[in-house]
Amino acid sequence: MQALLQLTIANIRSFVRDRAAMFWTLVFPLIFILMFGAIFTGGGTSTRVFAWVDGDGSAASAELRAAFAELDNVELRDATEAGGLDAMRQGDLRAVIVVPAGYGAAVAAAARAPGPPVAITVYTDPTQQNQSADTFRFVQTVLGRINLEVSGRGPAVVPEARAVQTESLTFISYLVPSILGMSLMQLGVFAAIPLVADREKLILKRLSATPLRRWQLVGSNVLMRLLIGIVQTLIIVTVGALAFDVQISGNVLLVAALVVLGSLSFISLGYVIASFARTEDAANGMTSVVQFPLMFLSGTFFPIDEMPEVLRGIARVLPLTYLSDALRQVMVGGTPFSPLWLDFAVLGLFLAICFAISARFFRWT
Amino acid sequence: MTVAAPAARETGLAIRVHNLRKQYGETRAVDGISFEVRSGEVFGLLGPNGAGKTTTVEILEGLRAADSGEAMVLGIDANRNPETLKPRIGVALQTASLYPKLTVTEVLDLFRSFYGRRGHSTGELIERFDLTEKRTSQTRELSGGQRQRLVVALALVNDPELVFLDEPTTGLDPAARRSLWEVVLDLKRQGRTILLTTHYMEEAEVLCDRLAIMDHGRFLESGTVKELVGRHFQERAVRFDRIHGLADASLAAIDGVVSVAHENGEVVLYTRDVPRAIDGLLAAAGAAGTEPENLTIRRPTLEDVFLALTGRALRD
Repeated sequence: MQALLQLTIANIRSFVRDRAAMFWTLVFPLIFILMFGAIFTGGGTSTRVFAWVDGDGSAASAELRAAFAELDNVELRDATEAGGLDAMRQGDLRAVIVVPAGYGAAVAAAARAPGPPVAITVYTDPTQQNQSADTFRFVQTVLGRINLEVSGRGPAVVPEARAVQTESLTFISYLVPSILGMSLMQLGVFAAIPLVADREKLILKRLSATPLRRWQLVGSNVLMRLLIGIVQTLIIVTVGALAFDVQISGNVLLVAALVVLGSLSFISLGYVIASFARTEDAANGMTSVVQFPLMFLSGTFFPIDEMPEVLRGIARVLPLTYLSDALRQVMVGGTPFSPLWLDFAVLGLFLAICFAISARFFRWT
Repeated sequence: MTVAAPAARETGLAIRVHNLRKQYGETRAVDGISFEVRSGEVFGLLGPNGAGKTTTVEILEGLRAADSGEAMVLGIDANRNPETLKPRIGVALQTASLYPKLTVTEVLDLFRSFYGRRGHSTGELIERFDLTEKRTSQTRELSGGQRQRLVVALALVNDPELVFLDEPTTGLDPAARRSLWEVVLDLKRQGRTILLTTHYMEEAEVLCDRLAIMDHGRFLESGTVKELVGRHFQERAVRFDRIHGLADASLAAIDGVVSVAHENGEVVLYTRDVPRAIDGLLAAAGAAGTEPENLTIRRPTLEDVFLALTGRALRD
């Protein structure tokens, strides 16, 4: 236990002192998030664009629209409910506000005698917590003023919150879990390089002349990468939340389970590479050959459904497709590419295959 | 051939090897060697690169399995129970094999943890191996001599009874080599058993109580340095730069010359009667219209033994 712990600490020290490793695992994913985030959110965070669906067409509903329109930083776009929701799903809008039929009549009735309040439906995306809360603040401000004008005795108009089924995410909420998947993949695949280097420098041989057991050696490597994977996850999730307001809406335990399973799967892929790469240079080359297709063809940057047929076929056999898909489902409620259980099953199977290959072909000297 | 350690057949044996064999494809790396090493003895395996020294040592360290033969180390079968053996031995591999980005202190601490932290403290080892100034340096910043001292220190973290040093001074400058010899002699004074491989004759002469000369996986000869030299040479060696037009045959015909050899552009005449041999040499050279240059006379060394046994020089 002592030996396992000390070796894990030694591995972490070597990792932290390796600038290239630090860059690829901690800085590189953040560059992607910040760069793509800046390009694709393009100032959208400062203007509030709402779809305005007038189901009533009365003077009162026109008045309500005017009250919203005169607020600073609010832009209204008239739309049908279906059209507004579609636009919102594509990330063009923050919210859809629906004034129901009979709104004018209900407000007029409320001015004469208190009755049941009429509900204005407000669709927001709950994974975008801050934006969602911000939208409701605006809605409350406007409705509060209307209520005051109408009676002053009780609310005549209330908002009714509805979540837009987050079938389609804003690009940045799509990107954050994908980048996390990509980072865990890289962290695992890059395990091959120090492993081959240690073998080339005969460090593995020297270790096997001590009472240290091989499971302790492998265990410390895996433990080190798992810990770094967790740090990576925290950094990516935090940056996603602070810079781009992407909130984790799903089950944290499920996210943790995926981070662990995903890390283990790709670490074992790293061991497969280390089983066949004789030199550190060869390991460097092989990790590049493995990681770039995984990075670009597993739906990291664009949904797989939007890819050409040929690439979609490739994506279907890449393990990262399933990790990122599962992460998007669990973290931000992304549209499943495959069912969650299948994602877990594919990753588990992939881990088992890589483990078997490494157990058969990995050489210590 | 069998090399039994004198007067230590029953007890006090650190290593007993019998008819050990290891083959890689067509190459017989170790080809049926047998020897014994007594407790407290420094035993040397001497031979050129590729002689099979490292393979032999790695079998005894439990790192490789032999194809056949017996390898008993500290009473443990190194082929069958390497995991029982490993806690009790200290190992310095031929190549330094250090974590490049860990400091001297960190590497020592790490290796101590593999043995449950028994034996010497990290501070003691650092002081004893003269690494105090470098204790916070990463190992990749160490000089060759410092690296080798650290490698030997790592072989001692568990305070082992038996230490394997595989070519401990290869690639070191003469000063660093001498300083490492001091370290090994110090270990010897503490009564540790050491199995050392080297391809430096001088090193074997300085450090080893007994040694075996190895080539092509076999032992050519073994014994103490004195025995080896005495067994082959009552002769002295007369050396001089090669003279054109003076054939080996005519040199061998000189009165008093026993044999003729070549080493690094020099001719070596072995003789029991130095004045007579030199007279003859001067006469032969004079007849060829020249005289020998850089003429030296010396007692034969292990170098000469090796040359006589293999017909080639050890240092290539």
